[in-house]
Amino acid sequence: MTPVSWGWVVLLLPLAGTIGIALGWRALPGRSAGWLGSVTVGLSFLAGIGMYLTLEELPHEERRLVGSAFRYIGTDTVDVDLAILADPLSTFMVLVVSGVSFLIHVYSVSYLGSDRGYARFFAYLNFFVFSMLLLVLAANFVLLIVGWAFVGAASYLLISFWYRRDTATSAGIKAFVINVIGDVALVVAAFLILNELGTLDYLGAFEAVREVPHDEGVLVATCLLLLVGAFAKSGQIPLHTWLPDAMEGPTPVSALIHAATMVTAGVYLIARCHPLFERAPTAAAIGAVIGTLTLVFAATVALVATDLKRIIAYSTISQIGYMVLGVTAFAYSAGLFHLMTHAFFKALLFMGAGSVVSALGMTNESIDRMGGFRKAMPFTFVTFTIGAAALASFPLLSGFFSKDEVIAYALHRGGIYSVLGIVAYAAALLTAFYAFRMVFRVFFGEPVPEAQQLAEGELAHVGPRNPLTGEEEDTDVGFPGPEHHIAEHSWSMKAPMAVLAVLAVVGGVVAIPGLTHGVETFLEPTFAESEFIADKPAPADQLKDLAIGGVLALLGIAAAYLVYIRRPGLARSARERLRPVHSFFAHKWYFDELYDRAFVRPSRGLGRFGRTTVERVLVQGAIVGGATGVVRAGTALARSIQTGYLRAYALLLLAGVCALALYFLIASG
Amino acid sequence: MPVLDIPLPAFMAIPFVAGLIGLAAPARAARWLALAASAGAFAYTIFMIADFAPGGEGLRYVTDEPWIPELGIRFSLGVDGLSLFLISLTALLWLAATLAAAFRPPDRLFERPAAFFFHMGLAETAVLGAFLAQDLALFVAFFDLMLVPFYFLIGQWGGRERVAATTKFVIYTLVGSLLMLAAAVALGVLSTPKGGELSFALPELARRSLPEGTQIPIFLAFAAAFLVKAPAFPFHGWLPDAYRATPLPVLALLSAVLSKVGVYGFIRVVLPILPDASVALQELMLVIAVFSILYGSALAFSTDDARLVVGYSSIAQLGFIVLGIFALDPKGAQGAVLQMVTHGVVAAALFLIIGVLAVRAGGSESLARMGGLAMRAPVLAALFLIVSFATLAMPGSPNFVGELLILFGTFEDKIVYGLVASVGIVLAAVYMIRFFQAAMHHRAGPEVASREMGRVDMAGIAPLVAVVVALGIYPQLVLARTEGDTTARLREARQLAGGVPDTEAQPARGVTPGGATVPGEAPIRSPSRPGGESVP
Amino acid sequence: MGIAWFVVLSAFIFCIGAAGVLTRRNPLVILLCLELMLNAGNLALIAFARASGNGDGQVFALIVMVVAACEVVIGLGLIVAMYRRKLPIDADQMSELRG
Repeated sequence: MTPVSWGWVVLLLPLAGTIGIALGWRALPGRSAGWLGSVTVGLSFLAGIGMYLTLEELPHEERRLVGSAFRYIGTDTVDVDLAILADPLSTFMVLVVSGVSFLIHVYSVSYLGSDRGYARFFAYLNFFVFSMLLLVLAANFVLLIVGWAFVGAASYLLISFWYRRDTATSAGIKAFVINVIGDVALVVAAFLILNELGTLDYLGAFEAVREVPHDEGVLVATCLLLLVGAFAKSGQIPLHTWLPDAMEGPTPVSALIHAATMVTAGVYLIARCHPLFERAPTAAAIGAVIGTLTLVFAATVALVATDLKRIIAYSTISQIGYMVLGVTAFAYSAGLFHLMTHAFFKALLFMGAGSVVSALGMTNESIDRMGGFRKAMPFTFVTFTIGAAALASFPLLSGFFSKDEVIAYALHRGGIYSVLGIVAYAAALLTAFYAFRMVFRVFFGEPVPEAQQLAEGELAHVGPRNPLTGEEEDTDVGFPGPEHHIAEHSWSMKAPMAVLAVLAVVGGVVAIPGLTHGVETFLEPTFAESEFIADKPAPADQLKDLAIGGVLALLGIAAAYLVYIRRPGLARSARERLRPVHSFFAHKWYFDELYDRAFVRPSRGLGRFGRTTVERVLVQGAIVGGATGVVRAGTALARSIQTGYLRAYALLLLAGVCALALYFLIASG
Repeated sequence: MPVLDIPLPAFMAIPFVAGLIGLAAPARAARWLALAASAGAFAYTIFMIADFAPGGEGLRYVTDEPWIPELGIRFSLGVDGLSLFLISLTALLWLAATLAAAFRPPDRLFERPAAFFFHMGLAETAVLGAFLAQDLALFVAFFDLMLVPFYFLIGQWGGRERVAATTKFVIYTLVGSLLMLAAAVALGVLSTPKGGELSFALPELARRSLPEGTQIPIFLAFAAAFLVKAPAFPFHGWLPDAYRATPLPVLALLSAVLSKVGVYGFIRVVLPILPDASVALQELMLVIAVFSILYGSALAFSTDDARLVVGYSSIAQLGFIVLGIFALDPKGAQGAVLQMVTHGVVAAALFLIIGVLAVRAGGSESLARMGGLAMRAPVLAALFLIVSFATLAMPGSPNFVGELLILFGTFEDKIVYGLVASVGIVLAAVYMIRFFQAAMHHRAGPEVASREMGRVDMAGIAPLVAVVVALGIYPQLVLARTEGDTTARLREARQLAGGVPDTEAQPARGVTPGGATVPGEAPIRSPSRPGGESVP
Repeated sequence: MGIAWFVVLSAFIFCIGAAGVLTRRNPLVILLCLELMLNAGNLALIAFARASGNGDGQVFALIVMVVAACEVVIGLGLIVAMYRRKLPIDADQMSELRG
């Protein structure tokens, strides 16, 4: 089998899963819908391995294969096939996506085991995996946009999964609308690509762009539009506001979509379109600046946020900023490697968070109400700490190799990238701090009542409530189910967490500077024509930068230890002293308020204005009323002759006859 | 090369004849007759599609008889790539609407079913006639005839305020139609060369040319009529009242099919015959289109009446179609034709779904009183979701392909209009998701009793959703067949607009020998196979 | 003798009749004035018949008299019907044909 055939298998398995579950859910007893979903994705992962192996057998230059199913749009100028591209980059993404998705599917089998919408969840989740795979396997921009939109739709469906909650549905629509903004940007970019480069196929377009001079206006505009699309999907400033709200969805959704896969689609896009970005370095630089800005912004907010899942969400935004910095600094393997390791430890963190939230009866996600879970949930504690350590770039863990490699490349690149690299270091310090803030707040300190109960073997069972608003709910369809599941009690949750923990620890092995070049070598054929392929920092420099990163990480962890374990009052007094700063961070830099004022209220006002004023006054009043008024006036004029008076008619008769007679008299005379 | 010989007058008359028979037949037979007739007409259209090779072009199944020789009017019917899918859209939706109307629970719609189905049959025949007509006078006649049965359908079987609504609707449309009639007559008379014969045949009129100064008032008159039909801002004043009063199966047809006759008229009649005026007034039409998109979308997300959400959304969608047509670019026109078909299917499905929703929300169609209808109704929720995603042109749906082509066509020369129109896409997402959520999600509204869709509802809605999904996977089905004839209609206008002449008069892809007629010239011959093949 | 006098007299009588139709309100008087107008026409016809020497004018005058008779019958019948229904005998008040 060829890589392309494996690619089709990879793509179609989750689709079959979705359709199978959707059509046959009534026939699937108990938890089999979940196992069916997991199996299809697992098989997809195996097919991905098949794709990898067959690709490796081919010589370097041939590792880019396109397989076309049929013509999708075939007009004179727009000619697009339903085609997939099997090359190292897509294979890499396929493996990461399907692998992590499989683990999360297994986790969800237990986690949502008692949810009334169980089958619906797995149908949606499989559909999401299909969409994401379509996105990364697409061979042209139109199919990319289709995959892009499907992923957005799946995200919407899963965010508002508990659809009878108002907070969930509003989060869903917010995410969807911002996603559509990204879609529109991609459509305009696609047009510019078609116009400028003559084709919408990747390979054709990337060939043609070599004729284009550097930093040409249209190309820069195209790349900026691609960035808008990428940032909408990846939650970068200013299109990031949907991501924290997306935590309304069940935790496996947050793990899969909003940490490991969907949000990385933007990074994938920039990496895929690297020939375009390399010829428009201005756009790449702008992207890098925004990525770094986001990086810092999200880290500051994560410092003060109190909702556990939202802290992890902001952490995701921040880490994606690193990935963006990597790919816009033309350090593709570094950025993508960080994508991979981030998928591991972020999914792990979310899984752990899911377990903790379950222990609190799913009524509460605030770290203010957590503490001392160490003894009650040892497995969760260990895995969560491993994840946090990887996030913090604790030396020798996977995050250490990936994140600091990105910074190393940035510093090497020079110019503005060096500045950004230094900023990134500062944010790394913050990252380590807030990562362990979570660990220490949740697992250390005085055990809260739920923790004490759990230590005695009893899982808390509080009445169902919305964690955000505290509002009472029920456990029927559209709300979380009645039972809560923690990792300690179900092996289907423990197994994936264990796998991810191991990967988070040893994952760095494939890319130790100077020693192993696993990721780089594998991805090389895709980036062979890149101008920067040979421009790498020396191993010695890389190790030096890694060391700096490691030191910063340890400093951050030590600072967190100081603040939260040694001197607990320090946090409170710091908050008091820096109240305006704290409030600014806590309000997420007031982005939501800004958007509400700038977009939401005016458009609502516009709609209202349209309905009341324009409709009533202009259309109904002036145009309709005017038209009927004119008609009425005309007919009134005509009617005025019909007075009903006999004498008037007689007069008219007489006058008419006289006029006629006169006319004929004069005419003949 | 068409293999079958389908007598178009017979095909066109099937629904009307069935309606007539239904009037005379016993009461219960009327709806079965109507169903059989619309199913038969739909089957006919499937044959037509199968018979049309991808990449083909030119009129086929032509019927061309002199009708009123003194006035130069011919009874001329024909199908080409442009009207092929509009005809099948008409037949499909009439079938779905007849199904929905035939099996309603006993209510007002059940009164006098024979008369109801007669009017439906007459309306279907008139609409088919409008799409099939190849003579301007015939087109105008059918265009006006369409209105008569709808007057009765709304006025007699409608909801509250029905008489006022239908009167407003009819008068509005008639004012436009009056202008169009005057313009058509003027067109016929003024374009007759000295010593030549008066003719209203469309290809003949396209051959004769008029000076630009004469073309402009004629264009404006036609535009008035078609824009009222669409409707476009600011000629949409009849929409809210009419949409509130019309019974739902009829409303599905009004919104999905009738609106398309107007915009079809632009491509069929206006662009080939009045190219100079089209170019001169292009900007005006683009402005109207963009205004319609933004205005319709803004109203759609600020109304609580489910019908009006879809109604205002139709204003926006038709705005996109007008945008695509007046981009004067082949991509844009093809996108517009595809969008006509897909919007029709989606709008009809939405109205049928609103009927289903209203029954479950205590009879109310107000979004404020719905909510939580997805519980215990997974199939309904799934179908509604697919239709909603298609309406907002989610990539993967055929509506997206249509809008993509429309936007690409607009971006070619008029990029600013395209960018403003793109905002409409974002607004569409807002109002459709709001609509879906208000109905299906959140807690249950007062008097909501959700349950799964019945078999009759499924029989009407599921095939429409299947068509949407199928076209989403393979939009080339439509695009391949519409390309030749649609681009042919644009040729004159595009060349005047200074567009790059497209690969002109190349033999269309995949067409069998002897079949391709010169575009723009419909064969005016005796009814038989077109093309060079002699009649055996 | 020239027919000028007769035609002038006919015109006078016609105008008196027309003025009466236009200004009087009683339907009986309107009928009377209508008769005057008709007879003025008759006079003119006979005068021209005499002047041209053939009897066409006289024949036509007879026809006019027949028509006048029929019309008077209907008119009087209408007036009697109005009286019987106690309707006001006033042309201005009979304005139900008002548009």
